[in-house]
Amino acid sequence: MELKLFLTVIISMIFINNFILSKFLGLCPFLGVSRNIKPAISMGAAVIFVMTLSGIITWLLYRFILLPFNITYLRTITFILVIATFVQFAEMVILKKSPILYRTLGIYLPLITTNCAVLGVTVLNINNFFVKGQAVAFSFALSLVQSVFAGVGFTLALLLMSGIRERLELNDMPECFKGIPIAFLVASLISLAFMGFNGFRF
Amino acid sequence: MIKLFKELTKGIFKENPVFVIVLGLCPALAVSTSLENAIGMGIAATFVLFFSNLIISSLRKFVPDKIRIPCFIVVIASFVTIVELLMAAFAPLLAKRLGIFVPLIVVNCIIMGRAEAFASRNKVLPSIMDGLGMGVGFTLALSSVALIRELLGNGTLLGHNILTNFNPAGIMVLAPGALMTLGILIAINNLIKNRKK
Amino acid sequence: MNERLIVSTSPHIHKKETISWIMWMVILALAPAAIAATFTFGLYSLQLITISILSAVITESVIIVLRRRRITIFDGSAVLTGLLVAYNLPPQVPPWIPAVGSFFAIAIAKQAFGGLGRNIFNPALAARAFLLISWPKYMTQFTAPFSQADSVTSATPLYLLKESNMSLPEMGLSYLDLFLGNRAGCIGEVAVPALLIGAVFLLVLRIISLHIPLIFILTLGFLNWLFSGNSIGGGDPLFAVLTGGVILGAFFMATDYVTSPLTRKGQIVFGIGCGLLTFVIRKWGGYPEGVSFAILIMNAFVPLIDRATPPRVYGKIK
Repeated sequence: MELKLFLTVIISMIFINNFILSKFLGLCPFLGVSRNIKPAISMGAAVIFVMTLSGIITWLLYRFILLPFNITYLRTITFILVIATFVQFAEMVILKKSPILYRTLGIYLPLITTNCAVLGVTVLNINNFFVKGQAVAFSFALSLVQSVFAGVGFTLALLLMSGIRERLELNDMPECFKGIPIAFLVASLISLAFMGFNGFRF
Repeated sequence: MIKLFKELTKGIFKENPVFVIVLGLCPALAVSTSLENAIGMGIAATFVLFFSNLIISSLRKFVPDKIRIPCFIVVIASFVTIVELLMAAFAPLLAKRLGIFVPLIVVNCIIMGRAEAFASRNKVLPSIMDGLGMGVGFTLALSSVALIRELLGNGTLLGHNILTNFNPAGIMVLAPGALMTLGILIAINNLIKNRKK
Repeated sequence: MNERLIVSTSPHIHKKETISWIMWMVILALAPAAIAATFTFGLYSLQLITISILSAVITESVIIVLRRRRITIFDGSAVLTGLLVAYNLPPQVPPWIPAVGSFFAIAIAKQAFGGLGRNIFNPALAARAFLLISWPKYMTQFTAPFSQADSVTSATPLYLLKESNMSLPEMGLSYLDLFLGNRAGCIGEVAVPALLIGAVFLLVLRIISLHIPLIFILTLGFLNWLFSGNSIGGGDPLFAVLTGGVILGAFFMATDYVTSPLTRKGQIVFGIGCGLLTFVIRKWGGYPEGVSFAILIMNAFVPLIDRATPPRVYGKIK
């Protein structure tokens, strides 16, 4: 029973409620970093990393500090500050500990601070898995899974998009569609294809 | 005076945040399912832009350069929280429909972008004008996307039936319709720009 | 004068097959299905097909004239797209549906990307998905075969399976009915023999290869045999393959040159993906049929598949 619940969250985050293609979160990096495949992979990895850890931290913060002290209205401020600090901190740690990892993730980390997808997933966790100030069953685990797979969905969309845009680079397409507009049309058509998963249930 | 006026109008056409600079897309797509939502979102963002530009530009001499970004975030997040609370109190239905996109105004690139690119370098009055102009430009862009989507996707405008005897294309109020509309609008914008050259 | 000495790069050997020849051959291969559809669902289907083709050709002409490009209307690609859009429609949709669908297919899915050979998604399938999500009311209403006069509404076998979990005899059908197209369904998908004649024709002319369709169908059948029955291995592969748009999709749309992988290895991955996704969408998704969505999703993967399976450089030893 629980397994089905988790599987539903996974499918939903990747296909049905894909952060980019259906919730429009994180469109700016999506358009910025989707020109080539390599940076897209690094960006995706960085987003999964930040989303997962932000999801964990904000859940703990909300459950053990904001809720007991009845200051949930500070949610937005706290979350964005925590994410920003955490990303800064992560950047420093990675720089010190693993230069290789820094070279793949590093330059993308600061970009992610203002990525609405990260704040989005933390707020969504709270909205979905807390009912009337009470954590639902498996709340923490569900939040964790949701955070990870929101990142996976983001990465998938980014990868598909970068592959397609590489191919479109040399096309003789109408001048006015080059660049951003065609990227939107591609996103629209991928999103259309993913709608085949609508109404998915195990 | 003329200069101030220019700061106001540049955000509406020449540097329209959505169509020209391509910023603030997430809310532009997500809440443009109906004209009403779009206008509500536009007003909320304009409010935040106005006040964050005001505060940031008046504090620009006191904020150390190194920690300016976190400072901007705190200022912006405070005003977003105010908007959140105001909206929940006075327009609960709208707040419910806009959902997580109200707190997400914090990470709306337009607001951060204007704080960094304009308010932190200019005097108070031009900054306010810039904030207002960008806010209005954002609202207009949002409304034009919403107008098309609501009309084609529902056959209504602001909830009134406009197109009778018309089978609305449900896709327009869904995600693919949003992406398509914005893509085509930006393409049209490019076309007009290229013609002028 | 200056054409006396021509120095050109390779290839120097030309084949008589031009793109336009291929397009017209595919159209010819699809013709039997149109005749079968007219026979099964009445003359109205033929009208829908005509409207769809006209809309596609007109849209293409207008855009080409506006873009001041060489007139390519007679290369048959627009006609083929129009034909396939119509084949993916239920037989009693209002006439504006194929018109809008073909317009979308040509204007958005094909010409915005630069026209023939440059589109990422199969235009006809993109149009079908667009229509299905926009106007589900019309796109999910099917009529029983041979009921032209009063057009009795009827559900497709896949719908009956999904919503009421009926078995084939309970639907009042046999495998022969499914094979011969004596069932409710889209205009061009029901007449399996007609489609197979066309497919063999294309295979003989070597316009399509068997890789994608065969692997698509085998994957789908195998997964259904394994998982769709009451016990593991108790499913019905034949039912899964003969219903919906599997034959039409596998032979005529998944094999589209532009939107499928270049290499053999890539085509195998593509076929498996199509079969797997069709199975998953049919079994757990909200829609009873998943062929078109499966092919569309795999279309999006094609650039990545091509990248992962580069063609062997001639003369290079591994």
